[in-house]
Amino acid sequence: MDNKALYEERLERVRKVINFEPVDRLPIIQNASAFGPRYVGKTIADFCRTDEAPLEITLAAMDKLGGLDGINLMMGGRTPVVLPSAWLSRVGWPGRDLPDDSLWQVREAEVMTVDDYDTIINKGWGAFLQEYMPKVVDPAEFAQTMGWLMANARRVADAYREKGYVPVAASAIAIPFDYLCGGRSMAKFFLDLYRIPDKVEAALDVILPEVIGQAIGTTKAAGTPAVWVGGWRCAGAMVAPRLWQRFVWPYLVKIVEALVAQGITPILHLDQDWTRDLGYFLDLPAHKCAFNPDGMTNVEKFHEILGDHITWMGDTSATLFAAGTPDDIRNYVRYTVELFEGKGLILAPGCDAPINTKPENMEAFVEACHEYGKVA
Amino acid sequence: MASELTMAMADLDELKVQDLVKAGLAAGASPSRLLDECREGMTLIGERFETGEYYLSDLIMAGEIFKVAAADLAAQGGSSGPTKGKVVMGTVKGDIHDIGKDIVVTMLRGANYEVTDLGVDVEPAKFVAAVKETGAAVVGMSGLLTISFDPMKETVAALKAAGLPVKVMIGGGPVSEQVREYVGADALGVDAQSAVALAGQWLAGVGGR
Repeated sequence: MDNKALYEERLERVRKVINFEPVDRLPIIQNASAFGPRYVGKTIADFCRTDEAPLEITLAAMDKLGGLDGINLMMGGRTPVVLPSAWLSRVGWPGRDLPDDSLWQVREAEVMTVDDYDTIINKGWGAFLQEYMPKVVDPAEFAQTMGWLMANARRVADAYREKGYVPVAASAIAIPFDYLCGGRSMAKFFLDLYRIPDKVEAALDVILPEVIGQAIGTTKAAGTPAVWVGGWRCAGAMVAPRLWQRFVWPYLVKIVEALVAQGITPILHLDQDWTRDLGYFLDLPAHKCAFNPDGMTNVEKFHEILGDHITWMGDTSATLFAAGTPDDIRNYVRYTVELFEGKGLILAPGCDAPINTKPENMEAFVEACHEYGKVA
Repeated sequence: MASELTMAMADLDELKVQDLVKAGLAAGASPSRLLDECREGMTLIGERFETGEYYLSDLIMAGEIFKVAAADLAAQGGSSGPTKGKVVMGTVKGDIHDIGKDIVVTMLRGANYEVTDLGVDVEPAKFVAAVKETGAAVVGMSGLLTISFDPMKETVAALKAAGLPVKVMIGGGPVSEQVREYVGADALGVDAQSAVALAGQWLAGVGGR
């Protein structure tokens, strides 16, 4: 089978699983940006050196590993330049201010001020970011990488397709809560939720439509089926219920509704533990989303509440990849396949397989997905 | 029965805590007694967290209210007397995440432990030096990334090699029982309140050490 046919077959497999239709085999989607470089003899500094490098290194790692249907969020653009736009924070750069083969790290600090809420409310999110981003990333590098991403979204997606892989999402956005949480720093932002809730809410209301518009634009340009919708500090395990119901859930619902209305699948990349609030997700449209956790949300509870409603995409944990054995990995993959009984399940690492993933564990993951994931 | 100040603290009513502290001091109440009432509020907050009534955001708010009140009362000579014991805390080498560690530090201080906070990206030798210097009997290590596992292991080994009779607890997003075993720590703290409970078990009756 040539790569074009392979791509079509894999894309259809992903589409069917999200729609809860029968498939021959459960799709295997990679989440492993930091794993790739070492696996192909490169460093993280190499991965961060040019905008093209993440694409080349990720494709090389996927080819070497074999057996994957696609990648969750397609890699391209220098990570230490891209990441500040999601976290509104400075990011330590391997090969510059961190050792060559160490992981990039978000240097979370209170860069955004309380007054910045007024700027967002009065001038808009885009105008705020123009003033703000130079505080957390070199403006020339930021302009270069963002320009590269906009100009190359289609070409990057096609590079994956030409190899037969499905680039599931070209665009990554966050639930608006998490942009502000990163910029203010978590402790300060959480205090804002208690002290100046109306101001925070007004800013979130301004951010939401701009972020949705950006996601739809990039996704249409790249021709990918989904948008990666991230949430990390806004999980139920972190936020008191009355705050979550006001500052998190309504925004997530609006993002999902807007994307689904455009025929785009929201991949809900939800780190931390969301178990407490899984019942709310029944309000989202059935068979239109994937829930992509990091190993902390209770998979059995998810299956019990949402197993017929939303596809589970995951969630072999970072801890297992780094500290477990191939048998641990195989057992977990088998367990999830048996739990979901072959439907509504995409097999993937939880969050992002870490930099110190043992290669034999990643190889065991793909083998196990093929061994246990045949359902037809 | 809990005082009005204790309940305001427990209910995270920041302005009421500030008003009651101010009013109490103006009325001649003992700053140390007011501080104890705030600590009792922190104990209730810990209990509410354990029962699922409170969440992490509540602990952060509680820590902030307590920190401000405790500073005001300390400035007036308030003291809760001898602490329940000494703890050394830090995020291990290679990891710069401080939020989880900071929450544990705040909750331990709220529960009247003397905490030496070494910050983030802490070398094993710094943990050893801090334990020697303070005589702490408990070490808490935090890590949010899987790359923290090996530095945690190295730190446990360094503490053992130095012959220090400390109990070691670890915590952080990717840390599990499997990791605790790998690292050689005495216990895993799944959240800030667990860390306070572990310190309580290990330091019961130890007092200043």
